[in-house]
Amino acid sequence: MNIAQNPELLDRLAARYAVGVLRGGAGRRLEAYARQSATVRARILLWQERMSAMMELPSPEQPSPNVWKRIENSLQTMPHRTVQSSPVLTQLQARLVALRQQLNWWRTGAALASIAAIIGTLVAVQNAQSLEGRGQQIAVLEKQLQQQASQQQVQYVAVLADEKSDASVLVTFDPDKRRLVLQRVGGYQEAADKSLQLWALPPGQAPKSLGVMGSDKVIKLTAAPDQIKNVPILAISLEPKGGVPSSRGPTGPVLFKGALLQTVL
Amino acid sequence: MKSAITDAQLIACLDRIAQQDSAALRELYDATSSKLYAVAMRVVSNTEHAEDVLQEAYLTIWRVAGDYKAPLSPPMVWLGVIVRSRGLDFLRRRTAERALQGQPMDDALADTLAAEQDTPMDTHEASEQAWALHECLRKIESKQRQVVTMAYFRDLSHSELAHQLSLPLGTVKTWMRRGLDQLRTCMNRFA
Repeated sequence: MNIAQNPELLDRLAARYAVGVLRGGAGRRLEAYARQSATVRARILLWQERMSAMMELPSPEQPSPNVWKRIENSLQTMPHRTVQSSPVLTQLQARLVALRQQLNWWRTGAALASIAAIIGTLVAVQNAQSLEGRGQQIAVLEKQLQQQASQQQVQYVAVLADEKSDASVLVTFDPDKRRLVLQRVGGYQEAADKSLQLWALPPGQAPKSLGVMGSDKVIKLTAAPDQIKNVPILAISLEPKGGVPSSRGPTGPVLFKGALLQTVL
Repeated sequence: MKSAITDAQLIACLDRIAQQDSAALRELYDATSSKLYAVAMRVVSNTEHAEDVLQEAYLTIWRVAGDYKAPLSPPMVWLGVIVRSRGLDFLRRRTAERALQGQPMDDALADTLAAEQDTPMDTHEASEQAWALHECLRKIESKQRQVVTMAYFRDLSHSELAHQLSLPLGTVKTWMRRGLDQLRTCMNRFA
């Protein structure tokens, strides 16, 4: 059974995995599917992001003032860390974080939640009032984009949107032509001393730059199929003019993000 | 809807904490401790224990703030996960200590499904995702909702849930399945 093609089953398993009750052999089987299929990974990441929102739900309660006092006392007795600013050390630290992410990638718990939170929900046209209306509009937009894309033999599409779910950049990728086409559809325009930079977020690895966006409405970038193929999420960050080297990762805030979908060909 | 400024302030705060600015840790504490205390309570169920967990969590944050990567996760989720980890450590240590001393498992840790208060959510600071989840969870029957949230906050399997709630495994699995089915239908409507 190919769960990538059985959306109901995939949804059920992904939700169970994200809440933490799909374990043992069943969990490992799902992880194996996830390594082979971007669709499976995207669904799991979507549910992990949804579940992680549970952290925001408990109603705030005041702890006793003693808690801060005890923290403060502990800080004073902790050995003083030397602030490490050497570039070699910074690189080593970055590799350590990346390694840790790779090791923890498919285990439930802390590391997963931190990686999963960025899945893009494909989002709505700006004037939709209710979340339900937006949901329907997302589906329509997605479908239209996929149809257009398959007519042009484009194989991958993404709708990148902001925190309020307003679509801002449409992305298509033609692996044969090695061409990424970005289209600005929202009203956002970066300041003169800033650039937007596009990143691929492959699972378990550091973000990889796909290029810096110029200020035109339609932007074409070159990308190898390997850079796009197994990536479930694309993101756009706000960087200094000209962007930053890929190895540094995004230094500015992520403004837009979205799931990468394959068109039906 | 979540204010972008609040998130950005937390991110800037974490950055300063990574530079060993203890005033920044105080700021983070003032801004987040009541929310994180509530998370701690969901993990360990006991006021005194939750305070211990909260203290451990902020000391962890002091040590690892430099690991936080803003593009990968919203700050409150990253912080909440740290609280949950320290809470789970606390529960495991306590269970181990009691086992070594030949004592039965804590009453405080053995749960019953209590009647929950339906507290309205403060939507000003909540993210859209959290609001959607809250709305969808509200629609699920109480017992089913509680096994779902307990499984998440305490990182429990079906059988661990059944043990802590003193319920048959089959019952827990049924409630979980129904709760998740309803949650999926509702959340998938929000896309």
